[in-house]
Amino acid sequence: MNGTLAIARYSLVELSRRRILLVFFIIGALGILGLGVGLKVIYSVASSSTQGGFGPNNVDPAVFNHFLELLFLSYIFGALGVFGLLIAYGIGMTAIYHDLDSGAAVSIFSKPVSRLAFTTGKIAAAVAALLVIMGLLAVEARLVMFLFGGGLENALTGAVLAVIGNTIVVMLLVLALSTWMNNIVAAIVAFIYYDVVAGVISFVRNLTDSGVIGSGIVKTIFDVLYWLVPHELISSATGDLVRAQVAIQGGRGSTAIAGVPQASTTGDIAWWAFVVCLFCGLVYYSVRRREV
Amino acid sequence: MVSVEGLRKRYRHHDPWAVDGVSFQLEPGQAFGLLGPNGAGKSTVVKIIAGLLRPDEGSVQLFGADPGNPTARKDLGFAPEEPDFPKFLRASEVLDYFASLLGLDEAERKRRIPETLQFAGLDGERRQVRQFSKGMKQRLGIAQAILGRPKLLILDEPTADLDPLGRRDVRALIDRLKDSGVAVLLNSHLLSEVELVCDTVAILAKGRVLKEGTMAEVVPEGRTLEDVFVELVQANAPPRDQLPSFISDKDKS
Repeated sequence: MNGTLAIARYSLVELSRRRILLVFFIIGALGILGLGVGLKVIYSVASSSTQGGFGPNNVDPAVFNHFLELLFLSYIFGALGVFGLLIAYGIGMTAIYHDLDSGAAVSIFSKPVSRLAFTTGKIAAAVAALLVIMGLLAVEARLVMFLFGGGLENALTGAVLAVIGNTIVVMLLVLALSTWMNNIVAAIVAFIYYDVVAGVISFVRNLTDSGVIGSGIVKTIFDVLYWLVPHELISSATGDLVRAQVAIQGGRGSTAIAGVPQASTTGDIAWWAFVVCLFCGLVYYSVRRREV
Repeated sequence: MVSVEGLRKRYRHHDPWAVDGVSFQLEPGQAFGLLGPNGAGKSTVVKIIAGLLRPDEGSVQLFGADPGNPTARKDLGFAPEEPDFPKFLRASEVLDYFASLLGLDEAERKRRIPETLQFAGLDGERRQVRQFSKGMKQRLGIAQAILGRPKLLILDEPTADLDPLGRRDVRALIDRLKDSGVAVLLNSHLLSEVELVCDTVAILAKGRVLKEGTMAEVVPEGRTLEDVFVELVQANAPPRDQLPSFISDKDKS
C-alpha cells in the first residue's frame, strides 16, 4: 500500500511539472474564457444597437441571452471533449512510458514493490491528474456561465462527466500500448482504434438504428461490432441542448432532434465500466510482462 | 545469500545466449567481481538477480526466494549501469520516493536522506534530475542503492562516470560494507579497482564463465588481473586487427 501511494504521489508530482500538460490546460482555460467573454461582448454590442428586441423578429433580450448561453455550452462541450482527449493522450503517453524509456524503471523495479502496486499507483496518479485538470476547466466554464445568468448547470455537469469517462478510457488504452511500443506509435494506434474504428462503428450503428440504413444484415453486423469496442459516453445534455435551441427558435429545426445521438443507457455505462476494468487489466499485464 | 545455478537467458528466440550456464554463490561479507568484455552478459546476470529480467533456464535464489518476489528484494541495493530516475524530480525527492518504496517510515527517511545526499555529494542540489550530468546520476544511483541499508549491494559499473574522488569514495564504501557483513556484487571494466576490493571473481565472455575463484586462484603470483583477463578473453574471441587498415596501412597514403 505504501508503495502504491509513493508511486501515485511522485507520479503526480512529475505530471504536474510536465510543461505539455500545463500548455494544454492554459490553452483550454483561455479558450473557455475567451469564448464566454466573446459571446457576452456580442450580446452587449447587439443590445446597445437595438431597442425592444434583437434581429428582424424582435427576439426578447432574455431569450437571446439564453440562446447565447446555449451556444456557449455547445461550444464548451466540443472544446472540453477536444482538450480532454489532448490531456488524456498527454498523460497516457508519459506516465509509464518515460519511466520505462529513461531507465528509471530499473531502479524502481529493483525495490521491494510489486508490478501491481506500480500499475495501481500510476493509474491512480494519471486519473487524479486528469480529474484535476478537467475539474478546473469545468469549474471555469461554470463560472463563465454566470455571465449569461445560468440555468443550464446540470447540462454542463452531465457533459463533463461524459467527457471524463471517455478520456479515462483513451488514457488507459494509451498507457497500456505505450508499455509495449513507442509512445507516439501508441497514441496513433489508440487514436485509430478509439476515435476512428470505434467511432465509425458507433456512427453506422446510429444510422441503422434510425433507419437511414435499412439492411438487416448490416444492422446485425454493427450491433455485434458495437459491443466489441468501447462506447463513447453521451450525456443527455447534448439532446437537451438541441431541444432547447429548437424551443428558442419557436420549433423551427425540430428535425435536428432526430439526428442527435441517444444518451448513454445503463448498458452503455456498464460496458464503459467493464472496458475501464479491462484496460486497467491490460495496463497491469503489459507492465508485468515488461522486462527492463 | 545469492545462489545462481545454470543460468541461461536470451532476449529473442533466435538470438545467441546472452547468458549461458552461469553458476556462482555469494556469501555475506563477500565481494564478488563479475568481469568480462562488452556484451559478455554481466549486466544480464545482475538484472536477473535483481528481478528485472526472467531467466529462460536455471534458477536464481535471492535470500532464499525468487527475485521476482518483491519481499526477496527488501534487502537488495542495486545501482544500475547508466542509472536514470524520474526526470522531473529532485535528488531529495527521488530518495524520498525510493525510501517509501523500501517501506522506511518518515522519521527514518528524515534521518537517512540528508546523510545519503551528503555522502553522494548531492546535498543542497536543487535542480531536477533531467539537468543532472552522468556523474551526478551515477552518484544518485549509488545513493539510492545504499538507502535501505542492504544486505546485498549490486554495483553495475559504479565508477564509469565518476571522477577520481568519487571512485575513491565508492572503494571506501565497498570496504566498509564488506566489513559490516554486506555482500557486494561488482560489475566493472576497471580491473585494477576490482583487484583492490574483490575477494572472488568470475570472468565471463559470450555469456559463459571462463574462470572463477578467489583472487589468489585466478591471478597467479607475479601477474595482474588484467594479464589474466586479456589472455582469457582473447583466447575465446576471434583474432582481430588492432586498427582498421585505412589507418594502419601507411604505404597507401
